[in-house]
Amino acid sequence: MTTDSRSNARTAWIFILPAVLIMAAACLYPVVSAVRLGFYDWSMGTPWAQAKWSGWTSFEIVFTDPAMWRSLLTTLKFAAVSVSAEMFLGIALALALEGNIRGMAFFRTLFILPMMVAPIAVGLTWRYLFDAQFGLINAVLAVFGVAAKGWLADETLAFAAIIISDIWQWTPFVFIMVIAGLANVDTSVLEAARIDGARWWTLTTRVKLPMIAHVLAITLVMRLIDAFRVLEVIYLLTFGGPGDSTEVLSLHIYKTAFIGQKLGAASAISVLLLVVVMVLTWLALRMSNPLADSEKDK
Amino acid sequence: MKRRDLLKAGGIAGILAAAQFPLIRGVFAQDRYAKYRGQTVVMNVPAHPHYDAMAKILPDFTAETGIKVEIDKIAIGRMKDKQLLEMAKPQGDYDAVCYIVMWKGEYVKKNLVEELEPYFKNAALADPNYDINDIVKGYLENLGLVGGKKGYLPGPGAKLYGLPYGAETSVLAYRKDLFEKHGFKAPATYDDLQKILAPLKAKSGIGALTSRGQAGHQCVHAWLLHLNPLGGEVFDENWNPAFTRKPGIDALKLLKEISDTGPAGIPGYGQGEMINAFLQGQAAMYLDSILIMGQVNDPSKSKIVGNVGYALHPKGVRYASQSGGLGLAIPKNAKNKDAAFLLLQWLTSKAADIKVTKAGGNATRMSTLNNADILKQFPDFEILKEQLKYVEPDWRPIIAEWDEINIQALGVAVSEALTGKKTPEEALNGIVPKVTDIMKRGGYLKG
Repeated sequence: MTTDSRSNARTAWIFILPAVLIMAAACLYPVVSAVRLGFYDWSMGTPWAQAKWSGWTSFEIVFTDPAMWRSLLTTLKFAAVSVSAEMFLGIALALALEGNIRGMAFFRTLFILPMMVAPIAVGLTWRYLFDAQFGLINAVLAVFGVAAKGWLADETLAFAAIIISDIWQWTPFVFIMVIAGLANVDTSVLEAARIDGARWWTLTTRVKLPMIAHVLAITLVMRLIDAFRVLEVIYLLTFGGPGDSTEVLSLHIYKTAFIGQKLGAASAISVLLLVVVMVLTWLALRMSNPLADSEKDK
Repeated sequence: MKRRDLLKAGGIAGILAAAQFPLIRGVFAQDRYAKYRGQTVVMNVPAHPHYDAMAKILPDFTAETGIKVEIDKIAIGRMKDKQLLEMAKPQGDYDAVCYIVMWKGEYVKKNLVEELEPYFKNAALADPNYDINDIVKGYLENLGLVGGKKGYLPGPGAKLYGLPYGAETSVLAYRKDLFEKHGFKAPATYDDLQKILAPLKAKSGIGALTSRGQAGHQCVHAWLLHLNPLGGEVFDENWNPAFTRKPGIDALKLLKEISDTGPAGIPGYGQGEMINAFLQGQAAMYLDSILIMGQVNDPSKSKIVGNVGYALHPKGVRYASQSGGLGLAIPKNAKNKDAAFLLLQWLTSKAADIKVTKAGGNATRMSTLNNADILKQFPDFEILKEQLKYVEPDWRPIIAEWDEINIQALGVAVSEALTGKKTPEEALNGIVPKVTDIMKRGGYLKG
């Protein structure tokens, strides 16, 4: 290595180091702490000095607890259905509103409003909307002659309710990402495709969407991560019920930590959640990884 | 005798004589507060009608004592996490906390709250006119005592750690107009109650009895309301699960019937939806907390103003109405403990109890319930006075492990029975291993 390249490397490290330190403090420390806590039996409100080393016990309890596996399955189902629907609707909306249609700025603003609402407010609002007696949804259904439904009193309907509220809040995120991606598509490529006779469907599926594949992959990853962390809305809407039919993993972790006072077990489940999300992220990024491509470009 | 004559007289005799005169007593009271004037007591309370009423009378406390009060109001469901985090710090932000009765054992076990007797024995702080025996006995025992029989009942070793404030019992409220129109009588027993559920729904065209039903604490609360009068208990004397015995199963079967004949959606109802269904005229009966009494005749909340009658919580094999609700305690790591005690003492005094009751809060003292003005404003308190005789202090096991059993075991089982996913027998028997495990971990059972 020459003196120049050594100096360049040092300069690069000087610039990168603050970011690395901040990332380590903000991201790595909590993760390491969570893993460490998984090996202790500690109850909130007691001094850490009273925490007992429990070894792998918390992990054993967690992995043999049927409630945890049910919760993981619920989370996977929730993430699969809600994220698929959000991706589909978000892309469709973005394609519909990408052009210079009259009043489009208004619609774009309108569509991103749900994302700006605090999750607590979203949970409360949907709880009122789904109310069996006085909810707007049953009132609308009644207009079409459909009998009132106990949305939050039935396992299937309650699951549908949490999916609907998530789709309502997070489709705008997909919409924003995709519309930003579409705005950056090279118009000359689109023009060339049109000259070659490509119609709207072909242009969309063969040209536009492949050209924003990186954006779609990142959006998918971010939505998957968020879907696995969703807590407040479900906490307020169903508190995991009826039974434990809507108890997603983050709510299960919350209950284990703050109700069961088993901080060690809650941390062990958090580690499992982290692993699941990492695997899904890896799979999503395998589809189209912008970082890998930028490496190739060098 | 005039005030200045008394002051001239001086000495103990003068002080005792002075104490008979409100004006002079006020001077001593101010002395008690003088040291703390200008301090701010930070108080963590829930969004709850009783604490809304308290907020209306707090300016009187500040005017009288010079102690300011800062309220941190949060949703009742998030209160415990916040309090545990605060009370675990070397010095917390809270000088006083409102707690739900179920938390008292855990807070004491973790050494997080102050014992109150030393404060009441401190002549510099204690109000000599504070009559603790006037506080409803069941409330005081249920919310305040820790360390006695079973760890949470009166008996040798029991000590006072909190004062009831927002305590409650259960009462039956019913639609007088509908009962009269269709020829029903308010049920006096559980047999009567069960018999009228279906016909009441059929004839009135609305739900018979509203109830909580949401998974977790809410549905367990509803089940406990019936378990106790039917003679059941969660644990036997040796802490073995007893909820699978006949009264437990019967209570759950009844709750399912209540859900099926009640307003639509009970398995999803929290306390708010349950109350709302009754207030909006969607249910003919209500059997739950006395909180309803402050709301039925408020036209901004209720469509059934003037149409509600009250009766005792029906008798099963015994009368056993709910004991529970909210209390106030002082965290061990509070900054202004003495000022917090003065606030607690003031809030639960006879005069302030009348004020908060008039403002829409729950009465804590018998003197309030016997007060002529209060009875004029709330004539239905006559039934409450009668109901208080039947408050069951052992209504639920108030042990540190209860939250986990309540929400993660019973709260799932009762909910699954309500939706019909499991029969009451399957649901309750299915959680015995989990509950046994929790009790073993807590050291109540060997193994």
